[in-house]
Amino acid sequence: MIPGKVQNIIQKEGVWENVKKQFRKNKLAVYSWRFILFMLIIALLADFLANEKPLVCKYKGSTYFPVFRSYLVDLELVKWNEGFQSSEWKKLDYDWAVFPPIPYLPKNIDDKNIHSVSPFGEQNVPSKHWKHWMGTDELGHDVLAAMIHGTRIALFVGLVSMSIASFIGILLGSLAGYFGDDKLKMTRIRLVFNIVFIFFALFYGFGSRSYILGDALAKSFFSFIAQLIFSLIIIFFLIVIGNLISRPFEKIPILSKKINIPIDMMISRFIEIMISIPTLFLIISIVAIAKPSLFLVMIIIGLTSWTGIARFIRAELLKVKHLEYIEAAHALGFSERRTIFRHAIPNALSPVLISIAFGIASAILIESTLSFLGIGVPAETLTWGALLAEARQSPTAWWMAICPGLAIFLTVTVYNLVGEGLTDALDPRLRK
Amino acid sequence: MLKYIAKRFLIFIPTLIAISLITFVVSINAPGDPVESMLNKNSGEGQLSDKQAGESAYIELRHQLGFDLPVFYFSISNAATCDTLYKIQNISQRAILERIIYQHGNSADVLQYYSSLKLLETDLYKLPKNDSINPSLSKVKEQLNLLFNTYDSTEIKSRLNTIYGYFEKNELMKPAFRQFQNANNNYAVLLRNQKTWKRFVPVFYWHGIANQYHRWLLGNAPWFGEMQIGQSKGFIRGDFGISYQDKRPVSSVVWSAMGWTVTMSILSMLLAYLIAIPLGVISAVDKGSLKEKSITTTLFMLYSLPNFWISTLAVIFLCGGDWLAIFPSPGADPPSADASTFEWLTDTAYKLVLPLICWTYGSLAFISRQMRGGMLNVLGQDFIRTARAKGLNERQVVWKHAFRNSLIPIITLFANVFPLAIAGSFVIEFIFSIPGMGKVSLEALMARNYPVIFTVMMFTAILTLIGNLVADVLYAFVDPRISFTKKQS
Repeated sequence: MIPGKVQNIIQKEGVWENVKKQFRKNKLAVYSWRFILFMLIIALLADFLANEKPLVCKYKGSTYFPVFRSYLVDLELVKWNEGFQSSEWKKLDYDWAVFPPIPYLPKNIDDKNIHSVSPFGEQNVPSKHWKHWMGTDELGHDVLAAMIHGTRIALFVGLVSMSIASFIGILLGSLAGYFGDDKLKMTRIRLVFNIVFIFFALFYGFGSRSYILGDALAKSFFSFIAQLIFSLIIIFFLIVIGNLISRPFEKIPILSKKINIPIDMMISRFIEIMISIPTLFLIISIVAIAKPSLFLVMIIIGLTSWTGIARFIRAELLKVKHLEYIEAAHALGFSERRTIFRHAIPNALSPVLISIAFGIASAILIESTLSFLGIGVPAETLTWGALLAEARQSPTAWWMAICPGLAIFLTVTVYNLVGEGLTDALDPRLRK
Repeated sequence: MLKYIAKRFLIFIPTLIAISLITFVVSINAPGDPVESMLNKNSGEGQLSDKQAGESAYIELRHQLGFDLPVFYFSISNAATCDTLYKIQNISQRAILERIIYQHGNSADVLQYYSSLKLLETDLYKLPKNDSINPSLSKVKEQLNLLFNTYDSTEIKSRLNTIYGYFEKNELMKPAFRQFQNANNNYAVLLRNQKTWKRFVPVFYWHGIANQYHRWLLGNAPWFGEMQIGQSKGFIRGDFGISYQDKRPVSSVVWSAMGWTVTMSILSMLLAYLIAIPLGVISAVDKGSLKEKSITTTLFMLYSLPNFWISTLAVIFLCGGDWLAIFPSPGADPPSADASTFEWLTDTAYKLVLPLICWTYGSLAFISRQMRGGMLNVLGQDFIRTARAKGLNERQVVWKHAFRNSLIPIITLFANVFPLAIAGSFVIEFIFSIPGMGKVSLEALMARNYPVIFTVMMFTAILTLIGNLVADVLYAFVDPRISFTKKQS
């Protein structure tokens, strides 16, 4: 067993090393990858780059770190110090204070610079540090601050929705690809019990808990997640119980006859149906009726964009499962689960990376389209798309049209370029 | 081949059912009451007769639109709920009742309580109006309205107590007091007979074909014979319902919109294919040259450029405003009615230039990038080397041998590009205000006008499916090696 494992590791490293080497040859893809990392840093440090609060300040004789403290306050660990409760951070009488490079938050209104002040125009600001480098919008929001915080939203949307999509896609795709139409067999009684208990599981997990879940969602996102996890635990246990109960019945000959489940056919039909649904339309109609929420947008994008990943992994597994090492795993007596998760999927995963890179690009594009149309994303969240939509209202403010649009374009392009680079790097024909 | 096409048509059915179900579920859960918005009912103070007339008009319209039917063929819920709840007219009150029933588990008692509240409301309207009664009467009515909208038991109790206080203070409201006591008692009974366990017992209700979904899809009018008021022929018989916004039949709204969108999509696809294919071939044949590199880079940029950005820029910078005014602004008036057909045509064509460019460039980039990939793939194969070895000139090799074979992936792209073109309609039609499907459905979505949304969604799905089918059939024609009937092996 050990030599096989070692060999597996060696082989795996070999593959990835090779991919890395190929990827590095593509200069454009490498720069794009660096740009993504750069945006990630901006997204992570958004609060320190653009904020109304000072980074460090001395107020009434003691030193404070208000930006950092705001995290703790959000987590309800500490309260604001005396004198900081007011929202007028700029008007406080500091002994000295170091403000972030962009001393504004997206929601701040600079009432001295309303009606879209141009970046090159006359700005009514105390010093150069307070300049609006990308101008302001009609209401007096600082555009650069909104852009920086918008980076966070855009990347977050891409990552969360693609995580959901990859989870569903990999799960369904590997089920279909690995079992095919003739490898998933179940005894009659187990099938019946599974169907019955899945019904009960859904009923007790979601049906009879719908009000609890709804209330939790209205309260806060985290309590919703907690309730959702509780629901999933109920569902899991009920399905496990169903399978345990069916065990003793399997001794009865009539009930223990095995039934073939054509899982590949079922999942393929399902994918076919999903592909025929006009996705953007579906997203828009679902999002338009519900309360605007960024999480809902991410979840729906995730739920509708898994088909590409599923198809990729299905095709790859169909290919992989006939290879020697899977047969070896079978011969060594590994369980089905172990063969799938430890051996088959990791080797089929590489093309999925391509799909994910392109998927993030299109998720970001969908989100910005939605906020451009003013659907789904709350009005107070200033995303890139929402900024661009504002440009339509004030056509003279060219900076409002150029900056967010350029940001969307660059983000989408770099993800596409990384996807391209991965495609080339993973193509065995190009490997020399 | 025919067998294959027939088989594909069979797959249409589950797909369309799935799509119709999704849209239906979405529309059922949509907030707001379409019947109310159609009637523009003025609620609040008024005479009893006004209120009753309003309510009967409401019931009438609700019946006409089929909202008094159960939602679906069956429903699965818990034993606490009763299966006749859908008969209650007011949507928000129904949701509240549903929740009270879920909390306490005794639907009969809850409905008793609800109907006594309703009777109390009627009694309050019957009271004589004068200055000494009006202030407290309006207070009581306000409390009653709040009672209709809460499920929280402590809140209900406190509201009932407040109303009791007003009855104590004002003798003139005496005639309605008996009914109030009735409601109060009913609530006490409801609390006493709680059966919370019932919510954990699943129940299955069968409603039969007299339901909203069936009525919408297949219709409840007889297939042969006269149609009565309140009946619908159903989607598959071409009856798409009535638009909530302007009460026009949906078909008239959608047909004109679809004309615009389909024309624009087909034009843009033709344009895209005509430009993209030569570009793709050139960039594959001259691989490595400066020409190829510039084409590839430009195409890649175009591919990643979000079309709503380019359209916005185009509108801002090219359509009047403070910058260039090369093209008419999207909000410009349509040509006057007495203009000749030719004038109308030129004017419209002029207006459509920019939208068409914005609509096209994305799929153009997409197609030519794929064409280039396919061509490169083919050029690397053995038969091309053979053709060259035979002494064919480069032109023949490229256009006769490589081109035909690399067309296959491009044709399947048709299936991807067509839905893309339809989806493009959303943004472009919105920005350039073209009255196509995208704009119509966006407006319908904002107004929660579900008959229109349904219809557009179904038509988009059907167009997508047809696009897929056409692509597959063309695929077989181009490449004789592909056969859809299983070979014996």
